Amino acid sequence: MPTLTIDKLTHVYPNGVKALDAVSLDIPQGLYGLLGPNGAGKSTLMRTVATLQAPTSGSIRFDDIDVLADPQALRRKLGYLPQDFGVYPRVSALEMLDHLATLKGLANGKVRRATVEHLLNQANLWTVRHKALSGFSGGMRQRFGIAQALIGDPALIIVDEPTAGLDPEERLRFLNLLAEIGENVVVILSTHIVADVSDLCPRMAIIVDGRIVREGEPAALIAALKGRIWTKAIGRDELEACRAKHEVISTRLFAGRTLVHVLADEDPGEGFAPEEGGVEDVYFSTLFTARHAA
Amino acid sequence: MFAKISGFEFRYQLRQPIFWIALLLFALLAFGSVASSNIQLGSTDNIHKNAAFVIAQSCLIFAVIYTFVVVAFVANVIVRDDDTGFSAIIRTTPIRKFEYLYGRFAGAFAAAALAFLAVPFGLWLGSLAPWVDKETLGPMALGDYVYAYVVLALPILFLSSALFFTLTTLTRSMMWTYVGLIALLVLRSVFAVILSKPGLEHVAALWEPFGTSAFGAATRYWTASERNALTPPITGDLLWNKVLWLGVGCGALALAHRLFSFQSAERSGRRRGPAAALEPAVVARNLAVPVGGLAKPSFGAGAIWAQLWARTRLDARQVFLSPAYFVLLGLAVLLAGLNLWLSTDVSDYGGRVFPVTRVLINALTIFDFFALIIAIYYAGELVWREKEQRTQEIIDATPVADWMFVGPKTVAISLVLISTLIVGVVVAIATQAVKGYFDFEVGKYLFWWVLPHSIDFVLLAALAIFVQTLSPHKYAGWAVMAVYLISTIVLANLGFEHDLYRFDGGPEVPLSDMNGLGRYWIGGYWLRLYWSAFALILLVLSYGLWRRGTEVLLAPRLRALPRRLRGTAGVILAIAVVTFVGSGAFIFYNTNVLNPYRTQLDDERWTADYEKKFLRNESLPEPKVASVKLNIQLYPHEPRVQTQGNYAIQNRTGVPLSVMHIRFPRDLVVDSLTIEGAHLQTAFAGYNYRIYAFDRPMQPGETRTLSFSTTLAQHGFRNSGNILSVVDNGTFLNDQRLVPRIGMDRSILLQDRAKRRKYGLPPELRMPKLGTPGADQVNYLRHEADWVTADITVATDADQIPIAPGQAGEQTVKDGRRTVRFVTDSPIMDFFSVQSARYALATQAYKGVQISVYYDLQHPWNVARIGNAMRAGLDYYQANFGPYQFHQVRVLEFPAPQGGFAQSYANTIAWSEGIFFIADNRDASRVDMVTYVGAHELAHQWWAHQIIGADEQGSTVLSETLAQYSAAMVMKHMYGPYMMRKFLKFELDNYLRSRAGDVLEEEPLERVENQPYIHYRKGSLVMYRLQDELGEDAVNRALRHLLHDFAFKGPPYPTSLDLVRDLRAEAPADKQQLITDLFEKITLYDVKASHAVAKRRSDGRYDLIFTVDAKKLYADGQGHETPVPMDETLDVGAFDVEPGHAGYDTDKAIAVQKLLIHSGVQTVALMLSRLPKFAGVDPFNELIDRNSEATITKVASR
Repeated sequence: MPTLTIDKLTHVYPNGVKALDAVSLDIPQGLYGLLGPNGAGKSTLMRTVATLQAPTSGSIRFDDIDVLADPQALRRKLGYLPQDFGVYPRVSALEMLDHLATLKGLANGKVRRATVEHLLNQANLWTVRHKALSGFSGGMRQRFGIAQALIGDPALIIVDEPTAGLDPEERLRFLNLLAEIGENVVVILSTHIVADVSDLCPRMAIIVDGRIVREGEPAALIAALKGRIWTKAIGRDELEACRAKHEVISTRLFAGRTLVHVLADEDPGEGFAPEEGGVEDVYFSTLFTARHAA
Repeated sequence: MFAKISGFEFRYQLRQPIFWIALLLFALLAFGSVASSNIQLGSTDNIHKNAAFVIAQSCLIFAVIYTFVVVAFVANVIVRDDDTGFSAIIRTTPIRKFEYLYGRFAGAFAAAALAFLAVPFGLWLGSLAPWVDKETLGPMALGDYVYAYVVLALPILFLSSALFFTLTTLTRSMMWTYVGLIALLVLRSVFAVILSKPGLEHVAALWEPFGTSAFGAATRYWTASERNALTPPITGDLLWNKVLWLGVGCGALALAHRLFSFQSAERSGRRRGPAAALEPAVVARNLAVPVGGLAKPSFGAGAIWAQLWARTRLDARQVFLSPAYFVLLGLAVLLAGLNLWLSTDVSDYGGRVFPVTRVLINALTIFDFFALIIAIYYAGELVWREKEQRTQEIIDATPVADWMFVGPKTVAISLVLISTLIVGVVVAIATQAVKGYFDFEVGKYLFWWVLPHSIDFVLLAALAIFVQTLSPHKYAGWAVMAVYLISTIVLANLGFEHDLYRFDGGPEVPLSDMNGLGRYWIGGYWLRLYWSAFALILLVLSYGLWRRGTEVLLAPRLRALPRRLRGTAGVILAIAVVTFVGSGAFIFYNTNVLNPYRTQLDDERWTADYEKKFLRNESLPEPKVASVKLNIQLYPHEPRVQTQGNYAIQNRTGVPLSVMHIRFPRDLVVDSLTIEGAHLQTAFAGYNYRIYAFDRPMQPGETRTLSFSTTLAQHGFRNSGNILSVVDNGTFLNDQRLVPRIGMDRSILLQDRAKRRKYGLPPELRMPKLGTPGADQVNYLRHEADWVTADITVATDADQIPIAPGQAGEQTVKDGRRTVRFVTDSPIMDFFSVQSARYALATQAYKGVQISVYYDLQHPWNVARIGNAMRAGLDYYQANFGPYQFHQVRVLEFPAPQGGFAQSYANTIAWSEGIFFIADNRDASRVDMVTYVGAHELAHQWWAHQIIGADEQGSTVLSETLAQYSAAMVMKHMYGPYMMRKFLKFELDNYLRSRAGDVLEEEPLERVENQPYIHYRKGSLVMYRLQDELGEDAVNRALRHLLHDFAFKGPPYPTSLDLVRDLRAEAPADKQQLITDLFEKITLYDVKASHAVAKRRSDGRYDLIFTVDAKKLYADGQGHETPVPMDETLDVGAFDVEPGHAGYDTDKAIAVQKLLIHSGVQTVALMLSRLPKFAGVDPFNELIDRNSEATITKVASR
């Protein structure tokens, strides 16, 4: 069973920003969610694992591959969908997929064509295969992105913020697909959308300011919060007072009232009710703790 | 509101880096153009660096270049908000379109105009630079700067601002706007080319958008003094040009208002956004992935080839299909097509040559410029493509090898460059076909042009790729390449010329049909090997430093370099380094050990030192050569020439001589030199200059012998200045390269005034004035000899024919060598040629003279015509001047790299393959250049080889002017005076243009100081008018008299005064003033015909009346003019066709007669047999009149 092992990975940008701070993770087969706010270092981590960036220190192993010493070996097993990617002008989906298939080692023309056609069909891009990629909508482009990531039967798939910009239906389809792929290979899904992770990932990690602050199975993480999340609907004018008094981890508007979630080991009283808690609460409480510790 | 918006825009532009960069750059350029002695924009040696003309010309040139900056200013106004995404905010504010658009335009234009003030300011500052030679400056005139800025530059700035503002509004794209700019610049150069064709000046002046042609047309005949002081008045073409194009600019602005929409670019449809319409209608099934169903990759050799091909294809495609490539290629085809089309028009006389491959390849150089742009531009595009199009992360994460980026990109850009050059060949071949020439020499195109140029540009692309790999940004990379290009020019000027450090450098490889590439390609390809190895090093380093992934900084990539260089890359690098060093060593051995390495500056310094050391010996008495015996062994393939010589030298001075000065060409090896009864006193080794002392002084009249042997050879190849005269096929040597010269003369000294001053020499070496006592003791061709007899033996390879002056005698072929002896049958000048090639021969006997044409079989077209010209010339000259002194006349072709001229030696005419050996005479309405050149050169057998001028002012009148006259008479009798008008019109135009650029001062014809525009161009006009006024017979009588007095005699040698005296003797009293005006003055006429009215008489004939306004002016050497009274006969006539236009011939002349015309306005009346369409004065274009079209006017009938 291939495993991705990241050990004390640290990356400091030349301007002094520490994007990764001794990140260590063991990622087994299956869909692995990497959750974090914007700017937390997710993409840096993804790009580093995808051999696009050399870390300042640390090590990455995939199976028996030392990724930093032999990035080429990893690339042969890698499918990568970057957070944001562009296309060559005047190149159609078919041509581009064929091109990428060649680059990924499908040298035999017949095999390559079959693969490309299969993937185009699967990505529901068959009817537009001769159209220029530059004319694709966000969803179509994203489907193209996943199709190209699947070329060459990769053992490690990295998808960086894949659902940003997708409509709910597209997003659902996309996540289902990921889940399916994840049955056989290591898939790292980086996102800032909690629902992406909560719905699908057997394991997850939360990254804040370049550090991994929570890691584990979502159910276990939720269980660890049991009895510590309390909720109450308050008026908007009461919010400030509430924040001053309690550790408010999240708020949202509901039917004209503000629904607050607070973190407390014991019942804070004042009409707060216990809350079952979900991945969202795990995430927000983690963020809250991380930020207040800093 | 308008003011606020324009004010904001103006201040915004002032804060942009481009404003300050442009300001600084143009100030520097303008400053440099005045302060540096290496740059001249319109100034020549007698036109001040701050002359009104120079300021105007500089402002024009800089303004045209500045359009690139203008585009940045004004296009920015339109695209800025779209690019920053700010447009939605701004366009929803309640600004009116008019204010928004024009306010911003006004602000941007004001900023552009302000920055351009840097140019006049820089020009002014340059004239204050302390190191500028004060002699090159005139008084400072503020008005000239204001005129240049306001009248010439501002309209260009406005027009380009308006046009490109509109174009950007239309296209919303910076790139397309620049494409438009390039199109406009091409249009401009088309007009500039048109302007060079006489007769089309007005069209170009009006329609050329920037007004440079209008300015050029207004000043084309200006003399130095006018250029120093005057600015052209804003009238005529200049005014209408400005009005027209300012109008076009305003129209463009109005159009911009119509076209501009407040919608964002996407919605206005100018820019394509994501098209939602592409969404497939059927909503997808899930992307189900069959477990293990996808093909497994493989990474063997097959995959690598497939990847290489795929990457190369994609990269090449990205270039081939990009709009900019189409535009660049289109422009190249357009410009090259124009250049190719015009390349067969090779003379001012409208003479035309066949589009042979060599001529077209030389005209294809415009493609080189575009290939250069493509190499540099697309290197940047390709290196940065993945990053800019954000495909980088996907591509870089694929398992392709690290070299799979730089490798395919290099191959792709090479393919682009090679195919671009091949397109050039296609254009050239198409040009040949259209011109009805079907000898397509594809091999020449490939090996003379495509192959060497492809290599050169691929190497340049490799450099650009390397620079882009290191560079933090595409624009920075381009800037570095621009600096590199400029540095190549600057370094050459500073004396850094060695090809071993000039990237992509190599020796010149001249082209010739006769000689092919000769041996010149050898050095060229050694250098290409050397620079290819260097480029390979650069490419391996580019591979090693390639940004794979998101790393952009250089330092981490440098740290990773050693790892990437392990293995194959390192081996390739090592091979490249070894090749680079090895070939470099071999090249150095050739250029610096086998041959001397000298820069142009070295040569200049040497020449200046030579003058400083030896010019003082110029007037020392020396013995003269009386007879010459030479044995010349040519080894064309080495190349090597062994010369053995014996001179009889005679003391023809009145005094005993105790020393004798001998000098040889700088690189000629003197194997031996002995002078009877003399010994070496001093040898100036570096100068090949020797002083011999006679053991016993050489007495007046005494004759001794001088014998010598020399070797002229080249081993290997030089950095520059390879021997051109001795080649595999087509050797053409002047004897001066092989033999000693006696005494010092001025033949090799520096001419350029600025350079002479730089080396501390007097700015000019003028000829002795006409009539200087003693100057008539030497002729202007050779000081060390008078008329000599010669006995020359020439040997060459057996498959070649050797020729030297003299009657060809015994001929032997032995041991693969052919030896021929040439003995003179009449005294000749000490001025020989030696030629040898594999010639074809066409020979005929004509009235006791053997006429032979030695030509290359590739150029057979004009052999018969040359023979015909020789026959016609012999007939006319023998009948009118005197007998031909030889029994042979030979015309020999020589390769183009040795010059594009014809030259007459004793009974031998050397004629370049580059000029009218390849004349195309299919259009009979053109001047027959073959007959002209042939008759001119044959005439030199009288005018130079029978009489030769004394070395003083006016000397060349007796050779060149009389040869022009002789040729003109041959042609007049062959084609008639109506054809001669074309010839004379070209002579006039050339004369008037050239006199403006004379660096000395213009002299009257009889005092010409070897100024070609005077002794050829003005000479033709003067002599033609003279024979018309005096009669051909009278002129020929005078010439016969001159020959009678001076043929084969001297010293004293004749001067132009002798010619003028003989002409005066034949001229009646009323023509004496004409001779004064033609020979002793610089005379200009201004004759205008107008108000021509024809009226039918009762007898069916017509009375024609028209007005003539005549003026005559004398000009001094600087062009200052003084009106003088005029009272002389001129041709007056009436015609069916305008003189000089198609169909103008004898039958179209209704009447031509001579009438007395005086200064001022007068009425001319003629009675005619039919109704004329045109009437006027000087229908044969004999007068020197700057507005020669105005001498004829249209006739109105009543």
